[in-house]
Amino acid sequence: MGRIGIIGVGHTKFGKRNDASLRELAFEAYSSALDDADIVSSRIDGSVVCSATHYDKQRSPAGVVAEYLGLNPQPTFNVEAACASSAVGLRTAWALITSGLHDVMAVVGVQKMTELSSEEIQELMGRAGDVMWESPFGTTMPAYYAMYATAHMAKYGTTEEQMALVTVKNRKYGSKNPNAMFQKPITADEVLKSRPVSAPLKLFDCCANADGAACLIIANAEKAKKLTDRPVWIAGLGLASSPMSLAGRKGPLTSFDVTKNAAKAAYQMAGVGPNDVDVAEVHDSFSITEILNYEDLGFAKPGSGTRLLEKGETELGGKIPVNTDGGLIAKGHPVGATGASQLFALTKQLRNEAGSAQVDGAKIGLAQNIGGIGMYSAVTILKA
Amino acid sequence: MGFEKFGRFGYVSQTKINPLLSYLEKGQIAATKCKKCGRTYFPPRADCLDCRHSAIEWVVLDGKSNLITFTNVFFAPPVFQPETPYLLGLAELTNGLRVFAPISPAVDKEQLKPGLELSLKVAKGSGDNLYYWLE
Repeated sequence: MGRIGIIGVGHTKFGKRNDASLRELAFEAYSSALDDADIVSSRIDGSVVCSATHYDKQRSPAGVVAEYLGLNPQPTFNVEAACASSAVGLRTAWALITSGLHDVMAVVGVQKMTELSSEEIQELMGRAGDVMWESPFGTTMPAYYAMYATAHMAKYGTTEEQMALVTVKNRKYGSKNPNAMFQKPITADEVLKSRPVSAPLKLFDCCANADGAACLIIANAEKAKKLTDRPVWIAGLGLASSPMSLAGRKGPLTSFDVTKNAAKAAYQMAGVGPNDVDVAEVHDSFSITEILNYEDLGFAKPGSGTRLLEKGETELGGKIPVNTDGGLIAKGHPVGATGASQLFALTKQLRNEAGSAQVDGAKIGLAQNIGGIGMYSAVTILKA
Repeated sequence: MGFEKFGRFGYVSQTKINPLLSYLEKGQIAATKCKKCGRTYFPPRADCLDCRHSAIEWVVLDGKSNLITFTNVFFAPPVFQPETPYLLGLAELTNGLRVFAPISPAVDKEQLKPGLELSLKVAKGSGDNLYYWLE
């Protein structure tokens, strides 16, 4: 297998983007990725448009996005894997380039969520799980993750105070990221006093819906070396699935098998282990999710993810800095854009361009992106 | 047609496992069992995952279960919002199969913890809706 490199990255401001439509958000990210790669659009021989299309008013949005980006008549299509859409889009583009069908592709993660009323969003949220056996009881996204939190608290003694540390950390880093939706730090007390959403999760344990886009331009080794002198290499790709229904899952629900399986595949392909990772982006859709991710990715033993937080090991300067761009909790979560946003942050880190969030000498980065209520999980490992 | 009667608010109307509703009407909760290999499924399935046979029989469950985890929902989809807060749980039945179900408001939520013994019982929703809950 030849190596595939990321040669350009772009990112919009995330948040309530009343000023822009879906296609315009995609253009912002795509155009800045082309600038970053210092190439022209005609170099791109195909695009993969990644979004959770049920949020879009536009049906089959790849059509209008490719048109607006000037990427006709090259192939384009949508990839949908809920919150993991653009990580799966990257996997798809990687395979298309590895196969020889394509040389240089654009992976465009984009989501326009605030076009919908909060009623519409809540209605969609109610159908995030198994619509036959679980949604009819009034499930929500936070409810599913809250059930993992309850189980983790009961088995390991994890507390709401410890969970709040995730939000405090990520909001602190978000305040240094101009693209983040939330620009202000928050205290543990504010998190603990926020209104209940689905116990034990409270408002500030949860990420927020947002609009935004992020774009990755990737190329085969030959083109990558020709087009840029600072490619970041895709070293490992892991993707796994789990039963969508909670009832179909095994064990005490204190971890996500789907992430463990994806991590195993990615570590194996990259020839590295958790101790080799210099910087990580993990899917903090909820505070508890980040703690479970530490354990499922092998950064901490089962039940001891909270200790990493308490000892500051996932802060800048710690053993394994995590979500130094603010994560989903501070950036906001434009579903289809989140996976590409994580890889944008890692690419900047591995090029030593992350500014005040820079992890000194970072050479290996890991991104982990969960889809929906944990039916998909993608782990991507990049090397400088 | 007709399965939209399942749950507090049903989304799916057409399925092969409609007979579940007849059991619920009789106050019983039933699983499906593959006639060829004997594997039992709950929630019921029309098709066996192991041998791909679709000849099934229905078996009534005793409803005994142990709670695995739960949550108390405060912020809900619009159709459920008037009922908030409400409890949702995941429990393991005596045959090792799992059930996702509401927890009856009669259960003292201070007593809830993983491992708690509960019973899966038929519950009536608004109109002629039928489902099951843990009590």
